Amino acid sequence: MKSRHIKAQITSFCFILPALTVLALLLLYPVVTSVFYSFTSKHLIKADYEFVFFKNYIAVLTDPDFWTSFLTNIKWTITSLFFQIVVGFLAALAVDRIRKGKSFFRTILIIPWAFPSIVIALSWKWILNGVSGFLPNILVKMGIVDTVPQFLSSANLAFPVLVMINVWFGAPLIMVNVLSALQTVPRDQYEAAQVDGASPLQSFLHITLPHIRIVMGLLIVLRTIWIFNSFDMIYLITGGGPAGLTQTVPIYAYNVGWGLKMLGRSSAVTVLLLIFLLMVCMLYFRILNKWEKEA
Amino acid sequence: MKKMKRIVSAVLACACAFSLFTGCGGKETTADQGNQGSQTGQTGGSTETTDELKGDIVFWHSFTQGPRMEKIQAAADEFMELHPGVNITIETFSWADFYTKWTTGLASGNVPDISSTVATQLVEMIDADAVIPVDDLIDEVGRDKFYENALREMTAEDGNCYGVPLYLNTEAMWYRKDLLEKYNLEVPQTWEQMYEAAKIITEGENGTVYGAAMPMGTNDMLATRWLHLYVRSAGETLITEDGKANLTSPTAIDGINYWVKIFKECSPADAINYNTLDEATLYYQGKLAFDFNTGFHISGVETNRPDLMEYIDCAPIPRVNEDDPVVGVETNTTPLVIWKNSEHPEICKEFIKFMYEEDRYVDFLLSVPVGMMSGIKGVTESEIYQSNETVQNFQHADEVLNQMLEGSTSIGMEYGPRAEAGLLTSQRVIEEMFQDIVMNDTPVEEAAKAAEDKLNDLFSTLG
Repeated sequence: MKSRHIKAQITSFCFILPALTVLALLLLYPVVTSVFYSFTSKHLIKADYEFVFFKNYIAVLTDPDFWTSFLTNIKWTITSLFFQIVVGFLAALAVDRIRKGKSFFRTILIIPWAFPSIVIALSWKWILNGVSGFLPNILVKMGIVDTVPQFLSSANLAFPVLVMINVWFGAPLIMVNVLSALQTVPRDQYEAAQVDGASPLQSFLHITLPHIRIVMGLLIVLRTIWIFNSFDMIYLITGGGPAGLTQTVPIYAYNVGWGLKMLGRSSAVTVLLLIFLLMVCMLYFRILNKWEKEA
Repeated sequence: MKKMKRIVSAVLACACAFSLFTGCGGKETTADQGNQGSQTGQTGGSTETTDELKGDIVFWHSFTQGPRMEKIQAAADEFMELHPGVNITIETFSWADFYTKWTTGLASGNVPDISSTVATQLVEMIDADAVIPVDDLIDEVGRDKFYENALREMTAEDGNCYGVPLYLNTEAMWYRKDLLEKYNLEVPQTWEQMYEAAKIITEGENGTVYGAAMPMGTNDMLATRWLHLYVRSAGETLITEDGKANLTSPTAIDGINYWVKIFKECSPADAINYNTLDEATLYYQGKLAFDFNTGFHISGVETNRPDLMEYIDCAPIPRVNEDDPVVGVETNTTPLVIWKNSEHPEICKEFIKFMYEEDRYVDFLLSVPVGMMSGIKGVTESEIYQSNETVQNFQHADEVLNQMLEGSTSIGMEYGPRAEAGLLTSQRVIEEMFQDIVMNDTPVEEAAKAAEDKLNDLFSTLG
């Protein structure tokens, strides 16, 4: 009996071996390589390098540009995440109330998420272009503003506009997931609450929220990581400018690694980023575990 | 029976795992493709073999504009037909992707046999010991046929030449004849005249057309180029002979002040984020009166606004004073290089020589007429070249561009090929400096000093 069990386990292991191999190669290898290189003077195109121990970390942590980028990154993540959740959540509640054509609206609203980021970046750059852009010019024609607004080059507008684009892009994912979670809430609980005289707000706070908060929690974890690490959209739209106002840590790391070709120092930036995100995730998961136990 | 099922399952699982590894083995696949390619070559027509060349080579290039891709492919097909044992695989990348591709590929050995490149990147390739000398090839084509400056930029400290100049691009001042006529303006000879003309046009056109644009995007190097044009026109350089950055000399400070003035009074504010494409698109759309670019502007306008073709022309780069001599400022050479990893440098050399056969070479140049300037002297005097419609329509532009060729070099290469030039154009220090001045009102001298120090710090990392 025992030997049959062991054989079955070996067979199972053989089946998952290919997937494990791929995971090891795709996940572990880059992480281990980054950690290793972060302690070396590795150059992007030169073969020779030496161990420099913590020199790269010291150089990064004493660079004011790193801290400016880090603060911009925190601001970018918090504002993007907050508005994505608010918009996504409200859209999900609205679509959940629709009786007819729910799947049609769900499909329409998910469209921004389906676009590749290069398409989004170039489209928004074109829409917001300060000379020929559709939106700035229509605002002038409608008499809302006197001169063409410079959405991507103004010190006051560039960052909020990038956040707005990110919300437009990310909110649909929140909406679809929250909508799915909303549909799992037992309807009889709402009926019972109604019989007991609960207000819609009370039903929302005591029935809806407890049911969907774990899904929301996981979404927040995932979105935090994705938004914090997002590179392409910012790089393609503003390149981190104007005057470094939209430069986040991934763009800083890119400039160090591909611009200066200091792969060792760039690896140190990514390792620091990894440590920070792990700490944030640990905090999130602690809260999630608590919620799961309460549930 | 159950035991049998388990054995079969285990074998299948192992086969799956094994297939993962075999999937990564590309060498055999390449060989197969090579054989197929050779067979295609044989069945494609001529089977005449002139020698024993045999093998597969990979050619990376960044010729994405105009029908250049097709011309290169046609040349490769013809070469393969002539040498049935040879298979040439062509892969095309944008210039930006090409840089990422070769720098990352170098570590894994995934580099091509031949590629196109630019002078500043060639210095890095030589520094990384990634390419081989091609002096024998240059001698075979004829060393004296190539422009001296172009060859000088391909020559390393060891005296060897590592690139064969395929074509050249010279910067000139492009303008709109109709706009100058509308406002009774002459073609500017000096920077101050250009500013005055640009200001009149900007004010007159009230936001529909801008006089000039000062592009400062940190994902490109245009602000560096614009400042370089000013500084070089005054006879100075952004990198001194002893390899130091020069942003604080009186001429450089004047240049920075000049472009800040252009930005504030004549340029769209969005230009603070402009890259090459944004800047060029503005001119192509007819929304810019003056711009600095190469002959590629002709094909760009032709594609976007063919109705403007008769109104565009170019003039020499403005000078500081009208009596200063007209000098060529910036010419970028696009060479072909042979990578050290290549197993068949002999095929690469034969193919490059094949590319330089006159009719084929002229045909390639004419894929972007006037845009791609010949790397070889005298070729453009041929009847085929001169009878091209675009060449005939833009004879003045062609003359100006050829005039600008004399004495001009890539940015930072005035004293020969140097790695500092790569840092000057790739680190966006000058773009950040301009952004700092116009966004934060940082005094020009202070911003210039900080940028100069930053560049010198970067230069010191070269060792």
